[in-house]
Amino acid sequence: MKLPRYALIKADDTFSVYEFVSEGPRGKIPKLVKYAETNIPGVFNLAFEDKDENTNEINDLVVSNNRDSEKVLATVVATAYAFTQQHSGCYIYATGSTKARTRLYRMGISKYLEEIKIDFEVYGLKEDQWQLFEKGIEYDAFLFQRLKKM
Amino acid sequence: MKFKDLNNQKTPVVSIDNSLKKFIELPVFQEKLDKANEVLEKVGLPPKSLKAQR
Repeated sequence: MKLPRYALIKADDTFSVYEFVSEGPRGKIPKLVKYAETNIPGVFNLAFEDKDENTNEINDLVVSNNRDSEKVLATVVATAYAFTQQHSGCYIYATGSTKARTRLYRMGISKYLEEIKIDFEVYGLKEDQWQLFEKGIEYDAFLFQRLKKM
Repeated sequence: MKFKDLNNQKTPVVSIDNSLKKFIELPVFQEKLDKANEVLEKVGLPPKSLKAQR
């Protein structure tokens, strides 16, 4: 997916936590991305939000609105490639902290679905059932599985 | 391959910063993880038969 993304990404050596800096009208805002294993082995929750430089805490409800949401999402997608390269066959579960954010993610997935599907199986959760992701359907959550290259 | 080309690939070049490891242990995003566990316990994973036609 050749979208603009932030080039300078830091990661820990387990490739579970990433940091990059969003730049825009609101200045430089550090973002944190974390892949945390759920209670199902091999299934990881993806979460990302603004990192508070002063407290090192995460603020996952703030709307920083740095006018770069697509670039931020493209950078998060890049971390998914890095993470799944290290964790073959894993699932990534993702949802927004609010319905509006979940919808934003859905729009991003829809926009680049054909490219994403080259490398990932993409599922959407609707009414407590997983289905293959389709455009135009409101989902509550998303699940990605990196395809194995033959 | 130039660095610029490397970083245009889908898998990015990342710089390792192990100061980020503290966030593995810290309960950041804990609520989201708890919620994810709640949902996954209820709905499970998609059946293996549910794969896109390729």
